[in-house]
Amino acid sequence: MIDTTQYAGRVALVTGARRGVGRIVSEHFLSRGAEVVGLARGEPTIDHPRYRHCRVDLADAEAIQAVFADLRGTVEHVDIVVNNAAVLTSQYAMIMPAGAAQAMVNVNLLAPFMVSREAAKLMRKRKWGRIINIGSMAVSLEPVGDSVYAACKAGLSTMANVMAREFASFNVTCNTIAVTAIDSDMLRQLPRDKVEAIIERLPLPRFAEGDDILNVIDFLASERSSYITAQTIFLGGVN
Amino acid sequence: MLTEIEIQGIILRALENVNEELDADSKVAVGADTCLFGSDAALDSLSLVSVIVDVETEVSTAAGRQISLTDDRAMSREVSPFSDVHALTAYIAALLAETV
Repeated sequence: MIDTTQYAGRVALVTGARRGVGRIVSEHFLSRGAEVVGLARGEPTIDHPRYRHCRVDLADAEAIQAVFADLRGTVEHVDIVVNNAAVLTSQYAMIMPAGAAQAMVNVNLLAPFMVSREAAKLMRKRKWGRIINIGSMAVSLEPVGDSVYAACKAGLSTMANVMAREFASFNVTCNTIAVTAIDSDMLRQLPRDKVEAIIERLPLPRFAEGDDILNVIDFLASERSSYITAQTIFLGGVN
Repeated sequence: MLTEIEIQGIILRALENVNEELDADSKVAVGADTCLFGSDAALDSLSLVSVIVDVETEVSTAAGRQISLTDDRAMSREVSPFSDVHALTAYIAALLAETV
């Protein structure tokens, strides 16, 4: 039975809300009473009275600031941030295009930095906030071809840990969920045999389901996690 | 266009807001001469960040355009715009006087 009031009164901001994990998370928050602000480059894919879509190129730091300048005048607060948006180009380092590497740094690292810092300014006023980053098992498994992607995701965890210290006095926690492979558009860019070979070696050798991620998000977004910050939680037995 | 008195008012309000968040023995004397940054600073570094964030937000809202108090230009000035309330007021007034 769904608790439709679990997030009543909360405003959750989700990046990459159009599809994949971002859409799953957004719809989860909406079904449980939250208002959701989705940030993504494309047109909205969610139609809900409590959903607001902001089209923004997350690779553009100034565009992110402009979105928050607008939000400051239109939403009273932001309580939960899920930094989900990411891009992945998997390629041997020696032939990785510099542009693809730069795009990963911009979207996977700089964007969550900008979103977190701007959201923290809003959270500070209410002395409550939850910043949750969607990390990756790539940080631990270090797959061939994922040098920049894995480095960005490692940086994401470290960034959250530092922000956790800076924002602690505002009662804002910062944590990272390092997800395993979930069936998504991003994953379908990779050779299936490569992904399955990685999955087979996991302690829990299966693809992640939406609920595997949502269960952890529910905990990290709740009052019950108020003494948990600067942590990276790996799914699937990865460590 | 904001006047220097209005800008200073925003800064002083930001200082008062931070004071409300501080313990009784950490509160700062709020005035035009309040030293914000440096060895004589009245504020700890996190409180200064809070003041900057509040002032940036309030000035941007009042002026109707986004201003940044922490870009490279501010950080590289010989005399820090954060040395005291007077200096910050003058720096913001100069920023606002620039053509967009």
